Amino acid sequence: MIWQPSLLSLQVTLAASGVIWILGLGLGIFLAKTRFPGQLFVSTLLNLPLVLPPSVVGYGLLLGLGRGSPLREWLGIDILFTWQAAAIASTVVALPLMVESTRAAIANVNPELEAAARTLGSTEGEILWRITLPLAYRGILAGFTLSIARSLGEFGATLMVAGSIPGRTQTLPLAIYAAVERREYDLANVMVVMMMAIAFGFLYWVRQFDRHPHS
Amino acid sequence: MNRLSWFLGLTVLGLLMTVSLSALRPSVSSTDSSSSSVTITVSAASVLSDVFPKVGRLWEEETGHQVAFNFGATGKLTQQIERGAPVDVFAAANRQFVEELERNDLVFSETKTLYGMGRITLWQRPDSPLEINQLEDLLKPEVTRVAIANPDTAPYGMAARQALQTAGIWEELQPKLILGENISQTQQYAMTGNVDVAIVALSLSVEKPGRWVMLAADLHDPIEQILVIPKNAPHLDLAKEFAAFVNGDQGRPLMDQYGFVLPDNQSTR
Repeated sequence: MIWQPSLLSLQVTLAASGVIWILGLGLGIFLAKTRFPGQLFVSTLLNLPLVLPPSVVGYGLLLGLGRGSPLREWLGIDILFTWQAAAIASTVVALPLMVESTRAAIANVNPELEAAARTLGSTEGEILWRITLPLAYRGILAGFTLSIARSLGEFGATLMVAGSIPGRTQTLPLAIYAAVERREYDLANVMVVMMMAIAFGFLYWVRQFDRHPHS
Repeated sequence: MNRLSWFLGLTVLGLLMTVSLSALRPSVSSTDSSSSSVTITVSAASVLSDVFPKVGRLWEEETGHQVAFNFGATGKLTQQIERGAPVDVFAAANRQFVEELERNDLVFSETKTLYGMGRITLWQRPDSPLEINQLEDLLKPEVTRVAIANPDTAPYGMAARQALQTAGIWEELQPKLILGENISQTQQYAMTGNVDVAIVALSLSVEKPGRWVMLAADLHDPIEQILVIPKNAPHLDLAKEFAAFVNGDQGRPLMDQYGFVLPDNQSTR
């Protein structure tokens, strides 16, 4: 009763955080390092899921993933009511936190340090890898922590695109909501403790990386 | 441990996760194989969240198949079906949303069935000191807050509004009214003691400790609960079986027990 939603939440959050790490890091670096017309527009657009209420994001995703969407009509992928739909919802709402933190952290790195490395003959890739990322590291990690926290607790959009089907798409937050709706408060309490344990574990694990910044 | 190796490690982990995410399961096959156990998906209005699990268990015992419930507000469930969610049976809390799906040609019209009519109650916590026996009692000064479901979206909220209007106290009661998003939430307000009284569904009143008075059925239009099978139901045959089961010899006594007025037998309660 409580293991299934817990495992599902872990699965969804892991998948979402994987996508967020790659996509968020990439987009953050891209937005910090390049200038193109309409950049402000793009980065504002990327932040929208953070501001919009989950019901709106959920509705948007329902349109974007369901009937009439390219995913369904062209690729024939039927994703509604699967755990992957939950992972996508988690990713979309949490991604802005990662992108924004990464972008800000990288933009904060002193450009003189990068310029110095450039005069010493480093390639741009080397500069990014050995100067910029290590210096922006903490900000990036903070963004990743926030994203994981956000995707673990994701509720509204998930409810729309994944449904709340026990054993299949009912993640812990959905299961807690359903238990409270059924007025099974004891079960809800147990799951809340479980939720806190998982959240603590996740956050502790990520913050570990921040403990020895100079090792 | 070097920081950059963490970067690398996380990136590899991320790649793995991304791959796992993209390894989409193919959409559920549309053929029913009678030999192996199949799980059907039933989207049901939250007012059914007490009774349907029991109906489901009986059905599972009888057929050997599984049923997974997706409970929620009827409006939200309708949206999911509009967007092609793989739902086998849709049990709505009213007629209007089902007819909307019908107009969009998303459900099999011939499967549309009235499976029960809802009743509403005035519900209080068992330890409530208030003496509430009829709608007019809500006007007493010691009643400070009354919850009903949102009358614009929730079928049971609509009925509550109609009942209050029929009783002629809708306007006067306005300052005390708290609107719940759906009928379960409305009842939660009362169960947690955050409102004095809630107008809720009889089906959610019977099983829980509480004091409640049933409201006369002629105070509001009948709350007709309609079920239907969506056109993209992955398991059409089993969906029909389940729909028949709800309205059949095993389903009906349960529905009756949970306070639904059964079709063509309206005087059961």
